[in-house]
Amino acid sequence: MIALPRYNLEPYVEFAKKAFAREATYRMEVFTEVGSLVLRIYLLRAVWTALYAQNAAPMNLPLHSMITYATIALLMSLILEVDGTRLIRERLRDGSIATDLMKPISVPFYFFSDGFGNTALHAALVIPSLLFALLLVHIDVPSPATLAVFFLSFAIGYFVNFLVNFTMNAVAFWTLETFALQIIVRWISDLLSGQIIPLVFVPGNIGRIVLALPFAAIYSTPLLIYVGVIPPGGWLAALGFQVLWLVVFAAAAAAIWRAASRHIVIQGG
Amino acid sequence: MPIVRTRELRKVFRSVKRAPGALGALKTLFSREYEDKVAVSGIEMSIEAGELVGYIGPNGAGKSTTIKMLTGILVPTSGRIEVAGLVPYERRRENARNIGVVFGQRSQLYWDLPLVESFELLRAIYGIPRDRYKADLAAFVELLQMDEFLNTPVRQLSLGQRMRGDFAAAMLHDPRIIYLDEPTIGLDVVAKEAIRLFIAKINEERGTTVILTTHDLADVERLCRRIVLIDKGTLIYDGDIERIKTQYGTFRTLVVTFARPIERPSLEGAHLTETDGKTARFRFDRHRERADVLIGRVAAQYEITDVSIEEPELESIIRRIYVEGYDTGATA
Repeated sequence: MIALPRYNLEPYVEFAKKAFAREATYRMEVFTEVGSLVLRIYLLRAVWTALYAQNAAPMNLPLHSMITYATIALLMSLILEVDGTRLIRERLRDGSIATDLMKPISVPFYFFSDGFGNTALHAALVIPSLLFALLLVHIDVPSPATLAVFFLSFAIGYFVNFLVNFTMNAVAFWTLETFALQIIVRWISDLLSGQIIPLVFVPGNIGRIVLALPFAAIYSTPLLIYVGVIPPGGWLAALGFQVLWLVVFAAAAAAIWRAASRHIVIQGG
Repeated sequence: MPIVRTRELRKVFRSVKRAPGALGALKTLFSREYEDKVAVSGIEMSIEAGELVGYIGPNGAGKSTTIKMLTGILVPTSGRIEVAGLVPYERRRENARNIGVVFGQRSQLYWDLPLVESFELLRAIYGIPRDRYKADLAAFVELLQMDEFLNTPVRQLSLGQRMRGDFAAAMLHDPRIIYLDEPTIGLDVVAKEAIRLFIAKINEERGTTVILTTHDLADVERLCRRIVLIDKGTLIYDGDIERIKTQYGTFRTLVVTFARPIERPSLEGAHLTETDGKTARFRFDRHRERADVLIGRVAAQYEITDVSIEEPELESIIRRIYVEGYDTGATA
């Protein structure tokens, strides 16, 4: 075997596997998560059904599409809401980032692998959750082409989500504490990502702005592709916009990391 | 060619100046007054491959700061630094392959995993060939007696077990240099001895260069021939331990055990420092008095059952150097 240490992926695969195994030990949490998700699907169906009884099909989004949208959004949140960047804060707080930096690895890539292993476990929960969901609600299944584009868009959104979180957590290099910032970003992203309310419901120019923000690239774009609000003709533009945000945040993450590694003052000796 | 070389190495930490009190805290929020703290100031050091060097200094002397610059995680303010031909902070990842690090107060093992899985992970990180990994791990397990806790999660290990694990972890990729920062802190005598034996062995058998930072000078006395002393960020001595001992260790202690308790024993040419009636300790200057003459004198004076002479400990010598400063012409 030719030794290519620079491009050796093995350590990162191992980091992901270890994170997966570590997360799997918290069994109660995992089961509770599925339970709470099913409950939320049930509640959302009740809320949207009641709302639609007053106001039929706003923005050409009929009730069955809306329920599909809400259910898929909840299933996506199983993966996207896992804080895969928690490790950055922990390693900074207790100073163990020093030992990470003394290893021949890319530290950001290490954080990503750990986060990925972490979310992979939760991704496995999508299947049982989906089965339970199907007992409660009917979900539209789009064409295979639409489904493929949805998954592609979801994947891009996953990376955007990671990079947004990474950039935010890297601020801890200077402040050592990001809790307030996290809460604020969380509130904004809950509202503006389209996870709860489809962003097409936001009227006028504000709606256009909201759809152009990076938060929309995380939930809204894949979801609108899934339910067909973004027609096949709009796919390329939608994906292009996501990739644009991906590039912007990748650059931001790289810049903040470079600055941080020059600025390192590790807490606690 | 030396494996570690620093020239006029300097590190200054800059922090926002804080005013005291609640009003001061408010002021701190808006003012941008900085305070500079010099941690390392002009250190010149050159270490040959295979050396085992004690890097000694009181708290806050700049030891850890130096080690961090050598590992590449801290960027020097000025000066040059080279480790195995690389500038550590410019080539952090390549440098990491050449070095091993053990911190007594911080573990590099993965907390939630069984010890052996941390080793597995390190094998992947450094890309150690499997057969070499197996052979080395087996050797370390035997040498450090780790077989009984190899499958225990790290968080359940005792401090002594964890330290042994950390040593193996730092040595698995067969680094050329190993930095040890307080490796025996908090350990009992048996564990300390096991760790010292391991350090001596890897230095001897593998030729690993060892830089040992410690407060426990018994570690240094037992292991090192050369010490580098620093204080307030500057180098104050670099050289042989023996030389420093003969230079500063002019005082010896004569310990005498009497057949019957003696109220206030005295001895011409020596000074009584301690007595409990049965044993007495006399301090004398070995340049002025000969030990055999003193023993003859005390034996003639009292009925004694035992005598011994204590060499000065490195610790008391170094304490003296910190108080008085190092003086190359010191004799008294």
